[in-house]
Amino acid sequence: MAVAPPVPTSFSGGVEAIVLVMLLTEFAMLRAPLARSQIRLYAFQSLGFSGLAVSVAATQHLDDLYVLAALSFVLKVVVVPSIVLRLLRDARVDLAGSNRLGVASMVLLAIAISVFGFFVVGSLPVHARSLPTATLGLAAAMILVAFLLVILRSDVVSQAVGFFSLENGVSVASLALAARLPLIVEVAFLFDLLVAVVVFGVLMRLHHGRSQTLSTDALDRLRG
Amino acid sequence: MAGVELAPTTIQVLQVLTVVIFAPALSGVIARLEARLQGRRGPRVLQPYYDLAKLFRKETLVPQDAGWVFAAGPVVAFMCYLVVPLLIPVLTTFPLPLGYMGDILGGAFILGLAGFAVALAAAETGSPYAQLGSSRAMTFGALIEPSLLFIVFTVALVTATDLPYFQAAATRASLSSTIRPAHLLAALAFFLLVLNDTGRIPVETHASTLEFGMIDEARAFEHSGPLLALLKWGSSMKQLILYVLLINVFAAPWGLAGSRAVGSVLLAIPVLLAKAFGVGAIFTVIDNSFSKLRLFKITEFMAAAFLLAILAVLVLYLGGG
Amino acid sequence: MSWDLLVILTAPFAVSVACWWAPVRLAQALTLASGALTFVLAVLLVPAKTTTALSGWLRVDALSAVFLVAVAFLYLATAVFAIGYVRPAGEPKLAARYTRRLFAGMNLFAWSMAMAPVVNGLALLWVAIEVTTVISALLVATDDTDEASEAAWKYVLIASMGLGIALLATVVMYYAGSSAFGGAHELFYPSLIGAARHFPPQIVRLAFVLAVLGYGTKMGLVPVHTWLPDAHSEAPTPVSAMLSGSLLAVSFYAILRFYQVTERAVGPVFPRDVLLAFGVASLALAALYLASQRDLKRLFAYSSVEHMGVLAIGMSFSAPIAVVGVLLHVLAHAAAKGTAFFGAGSVVRKFGTKDMSRIRGGIGALPWTGPMLVLAVLGLAAMPPFGIFRSEFLIVSGGLSDPRDAVAAVLVVGVTISMLGLSWFTSRTMLTPSPEGTVRGETSAWIVSSMVIGLVALAILGVHPPGQLSDLLTRAAGELGARP
Repeated sequence: MAVAPPVPTSFSGGVEAIVLVMLLTEFAMLRAPLARSQIRLYAFQSLGFSGLAVSVAATQHLDDLYVLAALSFVLKVVVVPSIVLRLLRDARVDLAGSNRLGVASMVLLAIAISVFGFFVVGSLPVHARSLPTATLGLAAAMILVAFLLVILRSDVVSQAVGFFSLENGVSVASLALAARLPLIVEVAFLFDLLVAVVVFGVLMRLHHGRSQTLSTDALDRLRG
Repeated sequence: MAGVELAPTTIQVLQVLTVVIFAPALSGVIARLEARLQGRRGPRVLQPYYDLAKLFRKETLVPQDAGWVFAAGPVVAFMCYLVVPLLIPVLTTFPLPLGYMGDILGGAFILGLAGFAVALAAAETGSPYAQLGSSRAMTFGALIEPSLLFIVFTVALVTATDLPYFQAAATRASLSSTIRPAHLLAALAFFLLVLNDTGRIPVETHASTLEFGMIDEARAFEHSGPLLALLKWGSSMKQLILYVLLINVFAAPWGLAGSRAVGSVLLAIPVLLAKAFGVGAIFTVIDNSFSKLRLFKITEFMAAAFLLAILAVLVLYLGGG
Repeated sequence: MSWDLLVILTAPFAVSVACWWAPVRLAQALTLASGALTFVLAVLLVPAKTTTALSGWLRVDALSAVFLVAVAFLYLATAVFAIGYVRPAGEPKLAARYTRRLFAGMNLFAWSMAMAPVVNGLALLWVAIEVTTVISALLVATDDTDEASEAAWKYVLIASMGLGIALLATVVMYYAGSSAFGGAHELFYPSLIGAARHFPPQIVRLAFVLAVLGYGTKMGLVPVHTWLPDAHSEAPTPVSAMLSGSLLAVSFYAILRFYQVTERAVGPVFPRDVLLAFGVASLALAALYLASQRDLKRLFAYSSVEHMGVLAIGMSFSAPIAVVGVLLHVLAHAAAKGTAFFGAGSVVRKFGTKDMSRIRGGIGALPWTGPMLVLAVLGLAAMPPFGIFRSEFLIVSGGLSDPRDAVAAVLVVGVTISMLGLSWFTSRTMLTPSPEGTVRGETSAWIVSSMVIGLVALAILGVHPPGQLSDLLTRAAGELGARP
């Protein structure tokens, strides 16, 4: 008779549940029809990341991570979402663009690709130090689904949200593998979000003024 | 009082009786609650019993071309619903003798057989609406099947068996095993499954009179009299059975009888009912806060359930979560 | 404590800040001075073995010096060119603001690119390259047109996602290191390379693949090159030159740093195979795309993809001479591509379009920059006596002595096809007779001088590289594990 695996501790179970919710949020972004709800989902996901950073900081006694948690809370939960929401309000755009696939097939594809991520991580001799090992697979799945979000949804907001949430996935992975990595690296990545938002704003202003749409189908002037 | 113990067989019969007797009450409570949420006074809680009594007194009309399947379907389904409570932890924490007769998958098969019998009986009538309902029910049933399988896998991986009693014991064991991600995911997936199987929003509007959106409801269109009573009774039993699985296996397997003492077994009945009413209340609130999905969007719902179930297996299998 | 590294890191930054407030003339002069200073300091670093500063956080060895020279050279040449480059049409006040913005951005861009080879450690390297993305994305959008903002969006999105993967690579390498060091460490190159033998090989392999994918996005390796032609064609021309000549090279530098560690940890075969796959794809695709371009700047952008492919293929050969060739190619490509973009800028100013079907008789219209552009394009197509000829010659001869000499044949074929694409352009746009009514004359003496600088450097690299430079290249190749 097979032997049941040991039950994880409350800490690792809770942490895994947080990362799992972040992954589910990623899936929700993939299917969310409204640009606005995608942004809110992103803010929610970032909140999960801040919580994760705090819990690692507390258990590993790494004070740097409190700074990271605070910074990502301010930037990713408050500033970036509110700026983007405001840009959207000014542009008066509700619907994100059309999907290239039906929602169900998109989700199934995303499931397949996250299974792939899980197995790749599972086949490597990697053991997360500061978080339960399952979070690594979850982070890999999150990154892959974020890529899918950028590829399958054809609108600017989805692409931006896809990139933002990719950042969340990479951050979770780095929290799991290298919690002691210098803070400056993480902060530089946060900074990149702001620039993406600025370029996004410029693009919205010019692009929307011309074609009244945020679909990337209009972004086809440069090709070849 | 503590000295008097019930024979395991008695308890097992008691499990079946609990489901048979109290299933209409659950439907009544839900209907009442729903009416209150919508600002109506609503029917009495005992109304389903009066309905059943009235239906049993009426004559049975059989469509012209219908064969014996038309009459056999409801009976077979009802019998299936009588068998399932033998296999699952309705009142006790410890497995009863016949509990080893079938595992989770076995229970699911029997429930599936019941659904099949009803669908067959509906198809027999030749009524387009009934046939529409049965074909839809079968289609979505097939789509939800993979999720069910993955939930079973999760249970199997957590407990190294596939008996619902052991899953319940694992859930009860400690807080860590309740909040472990695999368990949460499987419970959530099962919750979605129950939403689908009890014909609730966002899959189906169970109180609607609009035939085009109907799935389960449409199947009983041509039945009347005692046969209709069996169908109705059966579907409320199915509802209670699914609630019992959700509560006593995944969500809150507390308050079950730990011994065969009369007192604790009898006490388990009101506790179970209270929990079932609570879950019914949750479902009712969901029913009244969301809108029904378009028929072709129901696959999204299925995909969501599948996602949760498969993640549960993955997290367990590859991460030990 | 060596002050020269600190000056390299502060001068462009300070000038960039000054450019926001200084009058245009002063901003231009300061930029020129800072470019010259940075270049001189970089050249002074050539003979030195290894220079460190700031308790080891800054470190220039032979490998970094090669790339630092490339960046600094292009900084200087672009500073000269940019003085002659003004926005076509526009009221004076707006034009002044545009120029100030451009100069401030250029200096900042050069600063970030100089930072990448100067800092020590994979983490800081990642930060520096991240900063280059941030700055260059804003620079690409400078022209404020629909196309420019579209290109900037694609660039920032794709490059940032690539850098996300590169960060993952850094994290994985950190993990590999911490399982050997047993705790926190700073990802400094010497300690990483020294301890690489004890790293878990599979993890290092994963890190290397992620790094090639991530930094390869910024370097323009196929299939993650898609932002590159757009950004290069829509950015202001000085920015295009720096993007192509030094930014791509700096990203390649980051890959080489991962290569160093990987080579020690798992042997050279695995990293070479990975680079070979990406390199052949880049070379083949770019060579085919080159022939079908209509836009002058896109043409040169695809030529960059081609040359990045050549670099990656060159690294996949085992002969040390090929690695020397690769490093020389970095320098020669910086000079040649910079000059080509300067020439393109001049042509675009003269004809008011980037569309090659509307550019005719370039040599007749532009007495100086026309012929020089033709020479630069010939240089890009690996014609002697220019530097790219020498470097590709080294790479190919290294490849022929490799067991996989078929790859060298592929390389030659690819380079030849792209030469066809480039020369087709030259003959159509430059060597045709000028249409009636073309005014003969240069647009700016600064542009002419920038191209002269570029061509002279290219010729020196081709005809007779200074002895100390050859020394430097050999030492750098040695640091990459290629010892004769």
